[in-house]
Amino acid sequence: MAARGVVLEVDSVSKSFGALAALSRVGFAVSEGQVFSVIGPNGAGKSTLFNVVSGLYAPSAGRVTFRGHEIAGWPPERINRLGIAKTFQITNIFPAISVRENVRVAAQSRAPESGRLASLWRSADVEARVTELLEPFGLATRRDEPAQNLSHGEQRYLEICLALATEPTLLLLDEPTAGMTPGETKDATALIRRIALQRGLTVLLIEHDMSVVMGISDRVAVLHFGEKIAEGTPEAIRSDPRVIEAYLGGAED
Amino acid sequence: MAWRALAAFAALATLPALPGLPTYYLLLAFDALLFGAIAMSLDLLMGYTGLVSFGHAAFYGLGAYATAILLERGVLSVWACLGAALVVVGLYAAIVSYFATARRGIYFALLTLIFAEVVYTFFRYTQTFGGSDGIQGLPDALLWRGVAIDTPRRKYYLVLVYLAAAYAICRVVVTSHFGRVLVAIRENEDRARFLGYNVQRYKMAACMISALLTGTAGAIYPIRSAFATPDLMLWTESGEFIISVMIGGLGTLVGPILGGAFFTILRDKASSFVDWYFIVIGGVLVLIVLFMPAGLLGVRRLVGFRQWRHGA
Repeated sequence: MAARGVVLEVDSVSKSFGALAALSRVGFAVSEGQVFSVIGPNGAGKSTLFNVVSGLYAPSAGRVTFRGHEIAGWPPERINRLGIAKTFQITNIFPAISVRENVRVAAQSRAPESGRLASLWRSADVEARVTELLEPFGLATRRDEPAQNLSHGEQRYLEICLALATEPTLLLLDEPTAGMTPGETKDATALIRRIALQRGLTVLLIEHDMSVVMGISDRVAVLHFGEKIAEGTPEAIRSDPRVIEAYLGGAED
Repeated sequence: MAWRALAAFAALATLPALPGLPTYYLLLAFDALLFGAIAMSLDLLMGYTGLVSFGHAAFYGLGAYATAILLERGVLSVWACLGAALVVVGLYAAIVSYFATARRGIYFALLTLIFAEVVYTFFRYTQTFGGSDGIQGLPDALLWRGVAIDTPRRKYYLVLVYLAAAYAICRVVVTSHFGRVLVAIRENEDRARFLGYNVQRYKMAACMISALLTGTAGAIYPIRSAFATPDLMLWTESGEFIISVMIGGLGTLVGPILGGAFFTILRDKASSFVDWYFIVIGGVLVLIVLFMPAGLLGVRRLVGFRQWRHGA
């Protein structure tokens, strides 16, 4: 694997919950600017993998390295401050406050005041950044709406906005198009690709929907029962017999 | 908002000038405003951060004892009393908030309650501080040399100035960077962590601010009442603070001030008419919960989310 420009390295990571091995010795490397997808059937360990990388769980064994930092076991807020932002499979926003306030609280997390005493009486001016974040997702006109009033698709976009607002260099997307119609999924996929390019983001994507993965990924890894069974370009994965056997061969969802 | 607040405080400032206002009512107004200020401080936690403290009576009582102990020993300066209260309450609150915010949900409420009961028990059974009688018959405090806070009018202005200052602090805090994070924590604590916020630190800071404001209110109380008793720290007192916040409306600051004042006046009126006044209070509270579940001031929030939109 090309060592040049590797941003995130997951090195034989295992995670067990009691007797259940959710991940066993999973390893891969994501290079700068790549869209790297992790696919696999339900229960393959994809979300567990994300939770380890983003800091919700400490791995039972193995190492996670991000830009030279060993981040395995760090709390989520510390990992986020290092430049990794995550979106959630089940929409995870601030429901009762406005769309604008949602993004504002996320954006100010990178303001110089953040974490300082002055944050008690000062408020960073992030208005311009909020607008800039909402615009591409078509949410600018909905900014004063309480987030819970948005449609499902809009809430999925807001979810991505919150993550982008923390100015990550690595974006973890956990099934960003979950629950979207095929039309919405197509738009969302194109949008994600465009924004990743614009911002020079590296993206680690978990997906269920093969059409999304094949359309935007530079590289794909396949998980099956907590183990990585294949990794390669989308074309290689599509024709890999083990993958077809484990995943594509089963019932399409 | 600022204009309306200024107008409200100006109106309150003219209260002692009302011709023929009995001293009794001026002191009742003192109690109402003090209780309102405490409810407002608690609202920082309950309404903005989503944490219910069952131990605010301990902050209040510790502040009161700080003043009482100094006055009893002849240290009469208000500033010394307030300073001592801030130090004592600050130390205690740092310990409580560190442990209480390490846990989530009901554990926060339980830990604040348990710590407060320990403090109550300590003062209830320590004879140095008067045991169950507390410290009685305190002299008047001095604002500065030669100026004693000895008349009801001066006492009233003391609490009014405190309320205005506390309100200004709370208002600035809730509209700041920090206040936005508190709301985010209330709405979705996990997501706040994934946005890079150290949630426990923010919760601790919110607890400290709330506790220090409540402790200051406690420090002012013996200046009016001339006593401090362990009953000030009883858990029922904490319960009344919570009720006041609920009556007024969570997350509104002004609402809990009204709620605290309303509760104080209701208790006073009901208790002067009948012995079983708690039933009257209970009945009124049930009606409020049934017909105004968002509180006296919370209705607005349900209608238009105005405060979030115009939060800045």
